[in-house]
Amino acid sequence: MRSAGSPPPPSPRNKLRIGIPRVLNLWNTHQFWMGFLTSLGVDPRNVVFSSDTSEEQGRQFGKGRGTVDCCYPVKCISGHYGELVFGQKQKLDVLLSPMIYNLPSFLSGHVAKTLTCPRVMAAPENIKAGFIKEQDAFAEAGIKYVSPFVSLDEPRLVPKQLFAGMREAIPGLTYEETATAADAGFRALREFSDRLRKKSREVLEWCAREDRACLMVIARPYHMDPGIGHEIEVDLQAYGYPILWMQYFPIDADLMDWAFGEDIRAGHIKSAFDIRDVWPSSYSSNTNEILWGAKVAARIPWIACVIRMSSYECGMDQPTYTPVQQIVERSGTLFFSFQDLDSTKPSGSVKIRVETITHYLEKYAAAIISRKKAAAPPGCPLRPAA
Amino acid sequence: MATVATDHYRAYAPRPFTRAERDSTTILFGGLHWRIERILQAVLESSGYRAQILPVATKEDLLTGRETADIGQCCPTSFTTGNLVNFLKKESTGIGVEEVNKKYVYLTAGSCGACRFGQYHASYELALRNTGLEKFRMFLMAQDNLDQNMGDGLDLNLPMTLGCLWGIFCTDLVQDLEYQVRPYEVLPGQTEAVVKESIEYLYQVFRNRPAMSTKRSVLWHLTTPYFARALREVRRKFSAIEVDRLRVKPKVKITGEFYLQTVEGDPNYNIHRWLEAEGAEVYPAAITIWMDYLLRIGLQRFEDYSGIEKHARLKLALGRLAQGTYRLTVNRLRRAMGNLPHETPSQFELRRLAAPYFHRNLDGGEGDMLVGKTLWSYHKKKAHMICELSPYSCMPNTMSIGAMAGVVGRYPEILYAPLEIKGDAEVHALSRCQMILTEAKKRAQREFDDTLQRTRLTEAEVRAYLQAHPEMRKATYLIPHDGTAAGTAAKLVLHVAKRMGR
Repeated sequence: MRSAGSPPPPSPRNKLRIGIPRVLNLWNTHQFWMGFLTSLGVDPRNVVFSSDTSEEQGRQFGKGRGTVDCCYPVKCISGHYGELVFGQKQKLDVLLSPMIYNLPSFLSGHVAKTLTCPRVMAAPENIKAGFIKEQDAFAEAGIKYVSPFVSLDEPRLVPKQLFAGMREAIPGLTYEETATAADAGFRALREFSDRLRKKSREVLEWCAREDRACLMVIARPYHMDPGIGHEIEVDLQAYGYPILWMQYFPIDADLMDWAFGEDIRAGHIKSAFDIRDVWPSSYSSNTNEILWGAKVAARIPWIACVIRMSSYECGMDQPTYTPVQQIVERSGTLFFSFQDLDSTKPSGSVKIRVETITHYLEKYAAAIISRKKAAAPPGCPLRPAA
Repeated sequence: MATVATDHYRAYAPRPFTRAERDSTTILFGGLHWRIERILQAVLESSGYRAQILPVATKEDLLTGRETADIGQCCPTSFTTGNLVNFLKKESTGIGVEEVNKKYVYLTAGSCGACRFGQYHASYELALRNTGLEKFRMFLMAQDNLDQNMGDGLDLNLPMTLGCLWGIFCTDLVQDLEYQVRPYEVLPGQTEAVVKESIEYLYQVFRNRPAMSTKRSVLWHLTTPYFARALREVRRKFSAIEVDRLRVKPKVKITGEFYLQTVEGDPNYNIHRWLEAEGAEVYPAAITIWMDYLLRIGLQRFEDYSGIEKHARLKLALGRLAQGTYRLTVNRLRRAMGNLPHETPSQFELRRLAAPYFHRNLDGGEGDMLVGKTLWSYHKKKAHMICELSPYSCMPNTMSIGAMAGVVGRYPEILYAPLEIKGDAEVHALSRCQMILTEAKKRAQREFDDTLQRTRLTEAEVRAYLQAHPEMRKATYLIPHDGTAAGTAAKLVLHVAKRMGR
């Protein structure tokens, strides 16, 4: 029997309830965290992700917690934290909000660095300040707040970082099992990405076979959040156009050789994932992928239209506006940009623009595909019979 | 409706700057403060280059920057882009675009980290294109390498790099002393004249640095009395200034984003001079400290990889040795200035202080150093108030400021003024600063009064003592800082009391 005043014994791992805010680069690394925690013995049913972003969430749980004015994808995190701390029927034991320094991008090794945005990587420190500035809201709620700094593009370093950042939250954690769990996390993430890329290839092959247009969304991972990207691509899909997200574009060698082989032979780039020809300062992971997405969209005939999404005050997107548009439009591909997305869905203007986009697609998609096919090298692997 | 182009879009690739062009092509640079810019010019010239400093950016440059590049740039980039464009436009009017393209190249700082400041090549290109200067050659110099397409025109060799580094050390020390002296000068304008004279003197010192091989250059810079002698001469020039340090003034430490804390002019609303005019003593932000931070950030990688990567510990040890040498060198030069300029805070101490609020590895801007410097100033009574200059739309800086909410929550007595600098919202920023400055003035006065009371002295008695000791009225007289008072007047009272045996 424990004496009065002594801390309660830690929950066994399978009982541990861990909350994770569904924000920023969690959108493209959540499978890592699930694989990691499951491997450590945490019951996946006890891993609670906050809801999709919504204005209501911010009003109910994040009010008065903001510390600085910045882009909405960062600002909205106060609502996510608040929901996890104050809005759970069954209390959480741990709030896990990783500071992700760099990302395991498919462009790694071909670009200078794969860093996350400075606001994105530091967001947990910023949001935390709003929860401790008067009193420690986590401690008052009996929640252990952990925010491991983690370099997901440096797998050798990850176990050390996660062990240091998580040992106070996971009972009896050892370095060895952290390393094993990190491997499991990377494996889960890889398998998930491979599965989605395979799906995207199927979509592309169908488009090539049927000579039908598809659309590519070029955006940051968190634009998949309905409260941030406002499901613009869903509205477009309702018109019958398949949607591809640049993050999960197929990167099979045959397709890459066909799309970028000429550029490599001409010396513009060293590999299919090299973007120096359009973006020399390739430090930021999501920015690099956006530039690469524009390049690949410009070279695939059935991508007749690119939809660019960008949030209000996104500093990382800002220098890319002109190059991305030029890369896409120069290839004859339609380009539409939804900039300055904020908390409120601009439903009226989205509807009008979606109608405009589909009008253009109906009118020009066939001609765009035909012209891009004519300009493309022979032997497209998406059409083996051709 | 666009048609398909057979050639895909490619990024701006300037024609290389070649060795053969050195005699006929001028390197344009700017964006720092006038003292270091003048010394960098001396270093470039002594290495055989033609170098020209761009004028200080103005509000007109800001508008040009906004007009010619993509919307939403951070404020420093709008200023620097517009500054370059306006300078080139003016030159083009006189000698024509072709001649400008031949005659000048522009060298500017980028970054190799997460901040978009290093990713602005496309914005600069757009601005140049929109001005009909698309063939102008502009090169980004990242923190760890020079633009790879630059060509062999600029050889950033070790002797030149060391010259730049020593130039930063020396001008930081001069600037620091200047800001300690000017608010208290008895003869208005004297400090200004002495600083100008000192910088011109240092220009000659750096211009006439002996040329030598790379290996010899390292040894020479580390051991020569050449620069210490020059700084002693600067100190001698300052000693001619008479000061009245019993003027009670709040001490305001400047921190913030690198460009805004460094530059002196429209880009930061001329905040240094404005604060002085409002009755403050400014504690400027040294470039030396920022570079020490960059060293620390770089070495943290080896700390993290210790036990994981072969030789990481050895690299860390060597790096620490280099950082120690860096600090020793700065201290040596500071000694030549009579230890008058402020010391360089330990990066480890700043990191330790900031740790509960901001992770040490979050880089891209000034990271945890901003939080650490504020706490360091507060705990050690280095200043009454912190004025943090944050550029509009600066991504890393807003994060440090956000984390400061936790610091201010823990230490509500800290007078912290984070100012968002847009470049064209001066009244708003300065009035906000003035509100906190008013409180800082009261605090400085209270501190002074308390010190007099504690030491059982009157202001008249202290004045009489100073009158009897003329060496204490010199700008180069060292008033010790024992950590009990931040204000210069209060520290002087404490010092006089000690000398009087009170």
